[in-house]
Amino acid sequence: MATNTDSTETMYDLSSVLDVDALEAVRPGTSILVSGPAMTGKEAFAYEILADGVAAGQGAVIVSTGDRAETVIETFDERVSVEEYSLGIVDCAGDQSTAESRPQDGIFVHHVASPGDLTGIGIGFTEALEALHDQGIDSGRLALSSLSTMLTYTDRKTVFKFCHVLSSRLDAAEYLGLFTIDASAHDEQTLQVIKQAFDGMIEIRERDGTREAQVRGLTAEPSDWTAL
Amino acid sequence: MSDSEPPVVLIVEDEPDVAETYNLWLQDQYEVRMAGDGTEALELLDDDVDVVLLDRMMPGLSGDEVLKRIRDSNSDCRVAMVTAVEPDFDILEMGFDSYLTKPIRSDELHETVSNLLERSEYDDLLQEYYSLVEKQATLEATKSSAELAESEQYASLTERVEDLQSDLSQTLGGVENDEDFIATLRELSNGDEH
Repeated sequence: MATNTDSTETMYDLSSVLDVDALEAVRPGTSILVSGPAMTGKEAFAYEILADGVAAGQGAVIVSTGDRAETVIETFDERVSVEEYSLGIVDCAGDQSTAESRPQDGIFVHHVASPGDLTGIGIGFTEALEALHDQGIDSGRLALSSLSTMLTYTDRKTVFKFCHVLSSRLDAAEYLGLFTIDASAHDEQTLQVIKQAFDGMIEIRERDGTREAQVRGLTAEPSDWTAL
Repeated sequence: MSDSEPPVVLIVEDEPDVAETYNLWLQDQYEVRMAGDGTEALELLDDDVDVVLLDRMMPGLSGDEVLKRIRDSNSDCRVAMVTAVEPDFDILEMGFDSYLTKPIRSDELHETVSNLLERSEYDDLLQEYYSLVEKQATLEATKSSAELAESEQYASLTERVEDLQSDLSQTLGGVENDEDFIATLRELSNGDEH
């Protein structure tokens, strides 16, 4: 949760990915829920924002519940415009016995037994942050994809608390957090509860073949629906 | 943990002199219980116990075994391992909340106990926060926005949710450092009895 009012920190500018005023200067420590129906490119959107960050020399951390680390690296690399960058991956989808690996320069991978292993995810996150820190990187963006998978392993209460605790940790680290959720997979009440753990929400929808997004909670009024 | 009564600390230590020293240091601020071995520790453990100081090397039941039984029980107390040597393994992954290396100084002991109590406070606040958020969401899902605007229950819930949100952001005990953060997450996975 972004609670700092210190104005000296560098804001995150996400407007090159989604051109709305609300995303021009997002305070470090902000956690955002990325919500939308299935197949609307929520994960792709989150990866875009991380790729934009690494191009500016920031770190990236991806917590993946569905794709294995190799797939994450491949998918992410396609979006990155720079040759060298730093990426930490917490892979909850694989079954590798080794807890940590460095498949290539700048990339750190931590394996967690399952998306239900919250402690493991937490350990992976702190290790990834440490690995980035060792490379001189102290700001960055995190994507967790997806909360919907976590909700199939763990009850709503625990996922809510997890989101709150991780958001607080991101706040302390001055990272930006993006957490995706498949809005069509959960009832209204669950979405309402999970939303409360975040500072704001970006909703993605598809209208007449165009993907558009709306930002809520970061500014007094929701942004207009804007094409992605 | 109630506001009026002091938190309860259970000292599990087979050397009477050492146990008595800890007791002297802690007894002004806490209700202290003392167990000379693991079996006695499990007898003295109940819902009132907030923090356990557990000597790892004891005759009879080992510290690790006692820890396992505490975790298997319904108790949500915090356990600090007391050890003669700096542990060369991840105490958090083993299920301990913290550790102290002998010889322990009075200030270290106080700091560890109060840090563990702060984590418990954070967990309790988080639990309360969730309950309120869930009630709020139930109202939102079942009432129209006009009904919500009229509802005093909804207004007071919303206010309490905001208050708790700021209490939580000021109670950093749960996430102050990596150790707190991981211990808090582990408690979430264990904490299904709430």
